[in-house]
Amino acid sequence: MFSPQTIIEILADNVRKTRNPFGLNKTGLNSWWKNSNVNQTGDTLLFTGLMYQLVPYIKATTKYLEKYEDTPKADYIRYGKRIPKPLVNLGLKIISSKEDKKYFNTLLCNIVKILRSSDVSFAYNPELDEYSGVLLYDMGDQESFVTHAEYVANKLQDAGIRKLITVDPHTTYAVKVLYPKYTGISFEVQTYFELARLKGGDSSSEVTLHDPCFYGRYLELADGPKDLLTGLGVSCDPINTSGAFTSCCGGPAESISPKLAEEVGKRRVAELQATGRPIVAMCPICLANLQKAGAEVEDLSSVLVQFVS
Amino acid sequence: MTKITPDFAEELKKYGDDTALICFNCGTCVAICPLVSESFPRRLIRYIQIGARDRILENADDLWKCLHCGLCTQTCPRAADPGEVILSLKRFTVANWRKSYNV
Repeated sequence: MFSPQTIIEILADNVRKTRNPFGLNKTGLNSWWKNSNVNQTGDTLLFTGLMYQLVPYIKATTKYLEKYEDTPKADYIRYGKRIPKPLVNLGLKIISSKEDKKYFNTLLCNIVKILRSSDVSFAYNPELDEYSGVLLYDMGDQESFVTHAEYVANKLQDAGIRKLITVDPHTTYAVKVLYPKYTGISFEVQTYFELARLKGGDSSSEVTLHDPCFYGRYLELADGPKDLLTGLGVSCDPINTSGAFTSCCGGPAESISPKLAEEVGKRRVAELQATGRPIVAMCPICLANLQKAGAEVEDLSSVLVQFVS
Repeated sequence: MTKITPDFAEELKKYGDDTALICFNCGTCVAICPLVSESFPRRLIRYIQIGARDRILENADDLWKCLHCGLCTQTCPRAADPGEVILSLKRFTVANWRKSYNV
């Protein structure tokens, strides 16, 4: 386990200086939209919260953290805050996988295709798409979270945004529940799958859904993906540990203890694999952690995009 | 020897939900928690109830093993919201760390 105090101070410093937890340059981090021909103006904004975009960097960083967890070198992480951000940016760019970046960018492009095919009118302005700050909240750094959330909420409000279309459970929880509570600014928030109106094909496939904790419990949205897939002819009979009683993927522990994240992830993979059906996730953190724990997992957007006409 | 701070639960109120004193220590949260170790989170809630403020700060790193998955809150028979209590303790601890930098 790494020192939570050190990790929190690094994350808070990064968010304060660069508006994302890894200290990355946003232009390099958020490039998926460039070939999507997206409309940039409107009061309904596709708001990714940069979570899918961050996963390749989370994976790369975790690989290094794993090597040093519970070793005498683990303590060196406290010097992380002193490394100049341009150097951090360059280092992360080098160690993160190009294939991962391409893969996670494709998932966002899938979501755009799904929304377009469902006749949803939306804009995507990369300038307005910011990290929500939810990790700071989860880590208990309330002061840094509220400061960052106020920055993001005010920026969206000043730009005339009324409605946000979200793509992951953590960002959805932040903008739907935490922003109104802690910044006093509210938006109408819906996930992309709540807006998806796709037509079923001749599909008679079966999948096992891994409901993320935030959709299953905190937001009570687990029925949405299940009903949507069922309507498309994709059978997804829930397992015992689903919906409000879903099991954690372990991903949230990655920054503090990759070992714990792996242990919890392997337990969840065993539950999901017991069905023998292909596994589908709908959160980038779950997706990466379950894949890392040894499962073949697809993102919900990859399944839904097959029904785009 | 552990120093007792009788009004610790009162002090915690500014960091989040005021539900720790509702807990009757049944252990459902421990049974359901994916960490499955060291009586987490019940032990820390018990520390709040008895005012063992220093004991919490001494064991603070354990708080960050919590995945914030919410299973304990979902299953708590007393609606004591253990997940939010742990989050409050994280906020309390971070605030204490930051206070100590400024001393």
